[in-house]
This record gives sequence, C-alpha cells and structure tokens, in this order.
Amino acid sequence: MNEDNTASFEHEILSPLIQRSISFLKEDLDINVVSEKIDIISPKKIKLKKNTAMLGTGGSIQVLITMGYDDKLLDKVVKSFLEGEEVEEDELEEIQESVSCEVVNTIAGNALKNPLDGTTLGITPPILISEAKSLFKQKSSQIAAATIETEFGDMLLAVVGPKELFSQTLNFKEL
Amino acid sequence: MLNILVVDDSLIIRKNIKKYITNLGHAIAGEAKNGSMAIEQCKELNPDLITMDITMPDMDGIEAVKKIREFNTEVNIIMVTSHGQEEMVVSSLKAGAQGYLLKPINEEKLSQSISNIYEDYAEEFGDELLDDELLDD
Repeated sequence: MNEDNTASFEHEILSPLIQRSISFLKEDLDINVVSEKIDIISPKKIKLKKNTAMLGTGGSIQVLITMGYDDKLLDKVVKSFLEGEEVEEDELEEIQESVSCEVVNTIAGNALKNPLDGTTLGITPPILISEAKSLFKQKSSQIAAATIETEFGDMLLAVVGPKELFSQTLNFKEL
Repeated sequence: MLNILVVDDSLIIRKNIKKYITNLGHAIAGEAKNGSMAIEQCKELNPDLITMDITMPDMDGIEAVKKIREFNTEVNIIMVTSHGQEEMVVSSLKAGAQGYLLKPINEEKLSQSISNIYEDYAEEFGDELLDDELLDD
C-alpha cells in the first residue's frame, strides 16, 4: 500500500499478476519469457487480443482483469495443458476457450490478495472475449497494462477499475 | 478403487482430472459443471470421493458442499481452487470438505490429496479397513 493509504493498480494488483504469470509460464508450462523486466503502462485505450479471457474481483476491491494471448502462444499453452493428449478438431476450440479461462483463473487466484487486509480476493468465474475489443478509460476509471513477451508471442495483461482502488471501500464505510 | 465425481466448470480441468483419476487406478463416477449439477450427481451416483472446484457459476463449490452434507455425510470431498489463502481452506473445511488442492493441479498433487484423506481414514478406522475396502484395486 502507498503512504497516502491508497492502493495502486500497479503495485497491488498488476505486479503480483505479472510475477505469477511469469512463474506460471516458465515453471508450469515450460515457456520461456524473453525478459522478466516488464513495463507497466496506463493507457487511455487498450486493444485486447483476439484470444482474451476476463474475470472480475469481488468484495471491497472490484476490478476487471483481462489476459490475452497471441495465437501461437495460446497454441503452446493449450498443448502444455493437454500434456501430449490429442484432441479432435471439433473439440479444439472449446478446449482453447477453456484453457484461456483456466489460466487467468489460476494466476489471479494464486496471486491476488485484498490490499486492505491481506485476505483472499474473491474472483468471478472467467469469461471469454471472442473477438478483439478495445477498452477505453473513463474519467473515474483507470487502466493498467503490461505485455509479457515469450518465445511464442505475447501475453497482454490489463487491469481496469476505479481510479483509486480504495474509493469503493471508503464509500462503503461512509454509508 | 474409488468412484470419483469430478466437479469443475472448466472443460480442460475436468478432462485432466479424469485422466489423472484413471491413471491412478480409480474410476470416474461422473462429472458436473457447477454446484447444482454436483448435488444431483452426488444423489444419483453416490460416489466415494468428489473433487470440487470452488469458483463456479450458478452455485460455487463451498455452497455445494454444504448442501451435499445435508443428505450425505459419508462422501469425501477434495476442494480444488486457485486460492491459496488460509481463510479459503478454513471455509472449505468448515463446509465439510476433507482436503484441499491448489491449482495448477497435476497427477502427483491429486494422488497426494487422495492419500492424505485415506491415510487419515486408516488412522481412524485401522489399516485393515483401508486395505480391504478402499484401495482394493
């Protein structure tokens, strides 16, 4: 948490996601990451990748988390999940969708804690965004994003939510 | 050999857990995509063990465990989740689960979780029962 008692997207949400994503790619999926020094940006607009899964956090800290993959990277991730098992062509798309959602679920669940008290941050079941979409920053919202470059292409992580993470909690207290 | 019901909204996780179960010499009793389906399947199939995801649409795993315990106190339940924090473990155990498995899962982790439960069972009821009735594959 920052000195002014506000949580930042970068430190409290996105950084843990980036670190867990890197370790998950390397250790669980055997995918090399080109550089572990990842730049975090705060864009006004972000174009999501075609293969993107999204989930929300619940409780006092409510943000949206998206995780998207380049095609070749998703293929490799799916292959790792299948552990050498062959699947029929007509089943492959459903498997890809399932894997996309499962990765963001696992990484978010493993990495995130409530910055208020260190307890579990609830997450919703993930959903898939099947076509490339763009997210636009609104006046009271913020986007923080980072790209993890791997040997098979990029993973794009983004967090979207209120400008200050604690604003909702403070509102609850005032009520 | 145990008859195991697999509950998870993720197709890939159900697929992998079923593969691990088979590899470990157990049988797949059935599968369910959410808590409501899990309750119905549990009533219908009467499994020995359930692997239960926590974060699912419609009815989450913890709620499903509570409802299963209203009519079945015998079935063993292993919660499967990406949350590693202590309070989630406590909530699961309070709801009536016997074990806890942290994602990402693999065959070794699942095997260990099953062994932990049935070793506890053996300590309580004796090794003879474990050998004869629970692991007779």
